[in-house]
Amino acid sequence: MIMQRAFLLLAIPTFLLAQYQGAHAPWIEPGSKEMLPAFDEFDNFLGKLGVLYASGPVDTTGHPFFTPLGSNGRACVNCHQPTYGMSVSTDGLQERWRATDGKDPVFAAFDGSNCPDLPQKQEKSHSLLLNRGLFRIPLPWPPRNADGSPKAVEFSIEVVRDPAGCNLSPIYGLKSAHPTVSVYRRPRPAANLKYVISGAQSIVLKTGLPADRDPETGHFVSMNLMTDAREPTLTAQALDAIMGHEEAHETPSRKQLDAIIEFESQVYAAEVEHIFAGPLIDRDGPFGLGPVALRDGRPGVPGDNGFAPVFGVFNAWKGRDYYRKSIARGADIFMSRQFWIRDVAHINSIGLGNPVKGTCATCHSAQMTGQASSAGWVDVGTTNYPTWTEPDTFTEAADLPVFKITCRPDADPHPYLGRVIYTTDPGRALISGRCADVGSIVMQQLRGLAARAPYFANGSAKNLREVVDFYDRRFDMKLTDTEKDDLVNFLGVL
Amino acid sequence: MRAACALYLLYLLAVATAAAQERSFLACPIVRDTKTAPCFLAEYEGELYYLGIQQDINADFHPPQLKHEVLVEGRVEKGPRVCGGIPLKPLAISVIKEVNPACNTLLPAEPGIEAPPAGQGGPASHRPIAEPWPAEESLAGRQEFTLLFAFDDDFVDFGSIAILRRAAGYALKIGASAVKVNGYRATSLLSNGQRLVEKPGLAKKRAQEIATLLEGLGVNGVAAEWKDDPEPGDGNADPSHRRVTITVIP
Repeated sequence: MIMQRAFLLLAIPTFLLAQYQGAHAPWIEPGSKEMLPAFDEFDNFLGKLGVLYASGPVDTTGHPFFTPLGSNGRACVNCHQPTYGMSVSTDGLQERWRATDGKDPVFAAFDGSNCPDLPQKQEKSHSLLLNRGLFRIPLPWPPRNADGSPKAVEFSIEVVRDPAGCNLSPIYGLKSAHPTVSVYRRPRPAANLKYVISGAQSIVLKTGLPADRDPETGHFVSMNLMTDAREPTLTAQALDAIMGHEEAHETPSRKQLDAIIEFESQVYAAEVEHIFAGPLIDRDGPFGLGPVALRDGRPGVPGDNGFAPVFGVFNAWKGRDYYRKSIARGADIFMSRQFWIRDVAHINSIGLGNPVKGTCATCHSAQMTGQASSAGWVDVGTTNYPTWTEPDTFTEAADLPVFKITCRPDADPHPYLGRVIYTTDPGRALISGRCADVGSIVMQQLRGLAARAPYFANGSAKNLREVVDFYDRRFDMKLTDTEKDDLVNFLGVL
Repeated sequence: MRAACALYLLYLLAVATAAAQERSFLACPIVRDTKTAPCFLAEYEGELYYLGIQQDINADFHPPQLKHEVLVEGRVEKGPRVCGGIPLKPLAISVIKEVNPACNTLLPAEPGIEAPPAGQGGPASHRPIAEPWPAEESLAGRQEFTLLFAFDDDFVDFGSIAILRRAAGYALKIGASAVKVNGYRATSLLSNGQRLVEKPGLAKKRAQEIATLLEGLGVNGVAAEWKDDPEPGDGNADPSHRRVTITVIP
């Protein structure tokens, strides 16, 4: 067995390289005129991603998702490519830089570079996008209420480090004429969205405050959209993206917005094949794999239980080949391996106690996606000192900004970091203005992961192993190397 | 006369005994792992008290938190120790907001120390986090609903959301002419004689938040009032004074 494993470990890099080099990874350019088949497959490092358009083949000609609606040549598809699980990977971005000499609109100065006032022809001006897959998200400071008035905030913010140069920029920075905080985030997949927008409740369980409403219908919304839940609906998000990322000068038409939402709402993306375990959809296999299962699944179902687990029951794979067994063991770890979940704002702080003995599925509980079962921003510690994902964030080599947050004496402090917090991204707090929200990021869906590295909202984990390593370190899970491999294999088939 | 004196002495003894059963103290919580769910304990004057175990968010007991002191307000309950601690019932737990890194005791499981079985504060039941909605009930006339809060806290927890929605459901059902929301802050008299007073402005904040939530649930005619003078503490019923009342008027 040891020999077999050693052989496989040696063989994997060679095989992967050959597999990847041989893969066709199309990049859909804005304004393209093509017919996308109702179901398509795309190679990636761990296997194949399946993308299903539930309404049938898609003609991109003139479709507003695929057509530039703003001034910089971008369309939604720039950052939401089917090849990359309706997001975009650094491999894809680097390939695009090479192919276009940096002229692809995805590298637009506004947010495809570290800061618009940097020399745009230089690759290093786009380092956060090329190396981490991060787009600049400029947010007004202080945050705004829905009517545009400044929101009362519980903390002050200072720029401690600014390697990208935008937060101290006299034009775009915190002390500019239009005070702005620039944070850098990964684009989330524009797929499987019926799960993301489900689960609306009138009161947010994590805060005890009223949930946001759909401005058009007045209905409460899930508040699980985007990294910071700043937009309530898919329509609002699309509008925000067109006016921001696409730099539109005119509001898109209702018809265009509706077409975008209609398209996004019927896209399902998930892995369909593993390089070693083979096709993932079989009669005895877990119910949750593949895009068809996502299409047919019911949103809003809790999966943190033994009878209908988050992604299904993998028992049938336990007696089969090496990799299927590993994937099944990974599923067991995800669902059943207990560890101490501690110091996680909006998990431990909302009445569960600190610490909580739980599993991955305690938090990643929603069936089919592994998002939270309610409005899901939590501070797992990826962006806040001292648990942030990269220990060298304070050093010269680091590329993310560092902010110092100081909470007002009359405000409730962050539940585990107190009143002075160093962070690379204050997350939800830049929208809510609350100290308790500093570093809280809306939990992501765990689908199509193999197609869209790097991971975490700050793109710090280059591969799934680094994701697992972070959690192992953060929660002292004491995972063995084999258990880490099992978890990686499991996450890689979702 | 002698009988009257005896009765009076008995009364004093009963009062003293009752007071002797009250416990109100600040301490660092202690987490004790077990084979099933972790137990939460706290030590006061050399004695260990059992507070509860880890449960779902929709359970009645919300455990304290390491990295924070906890205000324990309860009454000693007769019976065997639980998880090595003396049980308290009724019991109110308040997590003190400021971080205290010294509160960091996590004990491993030990043979013979077990968490209570499910149904008695036992392990998490994995019930779904469904939004509570009032059951069909036959309320009539003017009704008052009371929401309790942890010390110095305005967080509306899962249980309070259920009460809030009952109040809103009733107001909507009868087409209430008015809904009055009254917010209070309070004092806790600790067993060592110290008085802890909730922060100024909290009564207003609690009342306004509840009014906003009621309006969010579609209730009209909501008026919020508050009393910023803190309710006095007696070391007995202090948790019940940290409250918001919702009065639904037909």
